[in-house]
Amino acid sequence: MEEYKKHLADRLLSEEKPITYRLLSRALNVHVNTAKEMLYEYHKYQNAQKADSIHATYLVYGVKNREISQEDGDVDMSSSMPDQDETPDVVHTNTLTLVREEDLTEILAAYESVSSLHVYSLAPHPQRDLAMLSDAAKSLAAYTIKEQDVSVAAKKFGTILNPHVRRRDRAARPKVAAAAETKLPKPASSAIKPATAPVEDKIKAEPKPTGKSKRDVSAPSSKDSTPVPGPKPAALKRGGSGGIMQSFAKAASQPKRLKVQPKEEDHTTMSDDGEADDDDIAAERPLKESESARTSRKEREEKLRQMMEEDDDDDDADAEKDEHEYGNADDEAMEDAPAPKSEATKEPKNEEISEVVSSTGDGRRRGKRKVMKKKRILDDQGYMEPGWESFSEDEAPAPAKKATPAPTPTASAAAKSKKPSGKGGAQGNLMSFFSKK
Amino acid sequence: MVKLEDVADTLLNSAHTVHTRPASTYKPLSTYKLDKGRSYQQQYGDMYFLRLTKIRPAVEEVAEAEWSGTVVAGEEAKRVDRVLDVKQGELCWVVGTVFMAMPLKPDILEDVSKDRWISAPVVPEKYFSNLEENEIMLEDDSGRIRLAGDLLKTVDLVTGCIIAVMGTENTNGELEIVDIQLPNLPPQPERWKLTKPVRKDDDEEMVDSSQSPGSKIAIVSGLSFSASDASHALELNLLLEYLLGEALGPQGQSDVSQISRLIIAGDSIDAAQADEQPEKRGAKKYGYDASAYNALPSQLFDEFLSELLPTIPVTLMPGAQDPANASYPQQPIHAAIFPTARAYAQVPGSKEPGWFDTTTNPWEAEVDGWRMLGTGGQNVDDVFKYVESEDRLSMMEAMCRWRCCAPTAPDTLWSYPFQDDDPFVIKTCPHLYFVGNQPEFGTRVIHGPDDQSVRLITVPSFSHSKEVVIVDTETLDIPLSLRKYGERDAYLMSNPLEILLNHHRHPSEGLG
Repeated sequence: MEEYKKHLADRLLSEEKPITYRLLSRALNVHVNTAKEMLYEYHKYQNAQKADSIHATYLVYGVKNREISQEDGDVDMSSSMPDQDETPDVVHTNTLTLVREEDLTEILAAYESVSSLHVYSLAPHPQRDLAMLSDAAKSLAAYTIKEQDVSVAAKKFGTILNPHVRRRDRAARPKVAAAAETKLPKPASSAIKPATAPVEDKIKAEPKPTGKSKRDVSAPSSKDSTPVPGPKPAALKRGGSGGIMQSFAKAASQPKRLKVQPKEEDHTTMSDDGEADDDDIAAERPLKESESARTSRKEREEKLRQMMEEDDDDDDADAEKDEHEYGNADDEAMEDAPAPKSEATKEPKNEEISEVVSSTGDGRRRGKRKVMKKKRILDDQGYMEPGWESFSEDEAPAPAKKATPAPTPTASAAAKSKKPSGKGGAQGNLMSFFSKK
Repeated sequence: MVKLEDVADTLLNSAHTVHTRPASTYKPLSTYKLDKGRSYQQQYGDMYFLRLTKIRPAVEEVAEAEWSGTVVAGEEAKRVDRVLDVKQGELCWVVGTVFMAMPLKPDILEDVSKDRWISAPVVPEKYFSNLEENEIMLEDDSGRIRLAGDLLKTVDLVTGCIIAVMGTENTNGELEIVDIQLPNLPPQPERWKLTKPVRKDDDEEMVDSSQSPGSKIAIVSGLSFSASDASHALELNLLLEYLLGEALGPQGQSDVSQISRLIIAGDSIDAAQADEQPEKRGAKKYGYDASAYNALPSQLFDEFLSELLPTIPVTLMPGAQDPANASYPQQPIHAAIFPTARAYAQVPGSKEPGWFDTTTNPWEAEVDGWRMLGTGGQNVDDVFKYVESEDRLSMMEAMCRWRCCAPTAPDTLWSYPFQDDDPFVIKTCPHLYFVGNQPEFGTRVIHGPDDQSVRLITVPSFSHSKEVVIVDTETLDIPLSLRKYGERDAYLMSNPLEILLNHHRHPSEGLG
């Protein structure tokens, strides 16, 4: 017990620095409640030896007297509440007050009940500005708990423990690596590099440039080779983003295999979104996610394939439009979206709300329907943009029209015959486009 | 009145129990998430169209029930489909979108016609000046009609809300209204609609756990971590110690351990520092000046979060001051801002929400079974400008009854130009609706016709009021039948308990 007194004497009398209970608890590795007690004891002890040599601040927590809080203007809202024919909202306001010892009795008088009172800090001088204490809190950073021993800290210092906490655990994966680099939390340390070098090479040599798809690559060597999976993602990341030539190669090879990683494409442009970029965190993905992630990847691939095919549509639509030039513009617009492809490849979204009728009555339907509009942008590459197009049509024929979007037989025949060949042509075009580069 | 002698024994009370927090069941909804590759080339008109289309059936239903067969002065009210179909002298009712023309309200058409492009827009504190100068119009895709009548003086309306009005067109071509109907609260899901409660023990049923002391949620907004202004740094420290459960005595600590989640409703980082030094001299730099960027506020915030996160899950919404997009809906703050706290963030691509969840603003979720809707406060602040009243809870109530949580978007509240959906339409009635960064704390419970009840909370800005709102997750919602005056009720109703972190300075002491 004498030890803490020595520590406090050093800190307060020699160094003349204030100390808070948190600081003391971290410095001496004791529970915060013990630290509060120590501060109290020491305050009593030291001032008994030499009056007024140590000054304390207290933290008071409880319910304040009603009228006092009204002075602060805090209860205006709640007191006006009963005017409503609602139940009166009784709001318990607990107040936490940090107070110097000189003012303690006065502050306590303003409380209706106090549920907790303890010493917050001790200082060698009367504390003028309590805000100074926040500086003391800053020196706490030196004692900041290392991530691993959170539960230990809870027991030791009295921080509330949360058994449900989840982290993206970097240390959890490689047992071996973790042992090797106990001091370094980050996986991509130079210490592991030699061990993983062969793996890295192997990946680079792989024909598929799936640099960032960690799952893909870690799959073959997942369990049997234990030292591998840990550092690998880091290595992969390096492999994926390191070689600039590789990324070119990737781009070139993509269109040939329709199954590409859409993500890579997504992030070639910087997104201003709030979400973390993929490659930022690639290394931290826990393995248990892989199942769902894999399926979602499949979905993405599927989507991308659809997109690619829609691009074809796009071209088709161009050709088609020429043929339909004299047709009803409205009908044609509707057809562009759902007509040519087998339904499976269509994104369902397009069909979901293709038409919103805002009003019916007096024999007319009015509303807007979704159409795929053609837009031309700078580089002469058309892209599809969904938009709303107003329509107003007679009610009676409308259902019929909707049920069977019946274009003229010649037109539909033309479209049908055109379709397959058009598709092939478009694909050829796409490939030649890339290969040219 | 408490005397020192009475409480002195708490000074020496040091139990060393390890408190554990209850689990927080949590399912954020992606209602306000925007597509990453979104385009900004669309027109805003579609939003109004979609909103009208989506809310119209609800208002029509209410109005039909209320007005069908209504006879005024021997004439029966007739429903009219379009605003333009209103005929002079005929009593009728019609549904449409409100448009407010106010002298002080920014007007895009005026800006365009006067070629005001360069200067930053002047935003008045209120658009509302006086009732006489306001023109209230009702519009749909056919046209607009000006509304008139004394009733308008008693009802607060803003641009973008969908209402039904009954009246007759007078000789001035105005619709002289006699009654107004609102869509009223949307259907409310039951508790635990999307998530399952966590069983505490194998055979302990939900019913039991509702009697045990419930877990709580802490909501705070406007932490305003700042590089220059350290005036509330101590309070932030106290808040941290409070939430960590290190402050207070054993009893207080065990109370705090019941808080299962912290929701930060916007304005965590103080962006005001840029405005503070406009007269800064020196070499003028055009474009982005990297040296002017100060990372300290976000670093402080990151430290704060990373200390809290091991013990409590945090939901972080962006606010007007935060480093996120300015237009509604604000997208999550990028995890890169939080180099240490991000270790708790969501794994990209994973379905499981992150322990540290950076979310959108507005934000919709099911937390501990309750449907919650929260915003950083911009929506209320903007509605506030339209109306004379200062009662923000009433504005929140009105938004619920309009079924639109940001009616003034896209007119005066910046917004993304939605094409396929207007997410601001409230499809499901929340149980708890909170709005951050408000001038003061307030709460109220409102009820709907189908037994819906919504607890509204205005969360004050921490940097000003030093207040945290704690909501009890078990008694948040009480069956309507229980809502009577009484002892037990008064207790049940007391769930939002507010902690005033009051850094006391003695008046005689001066500002040392």
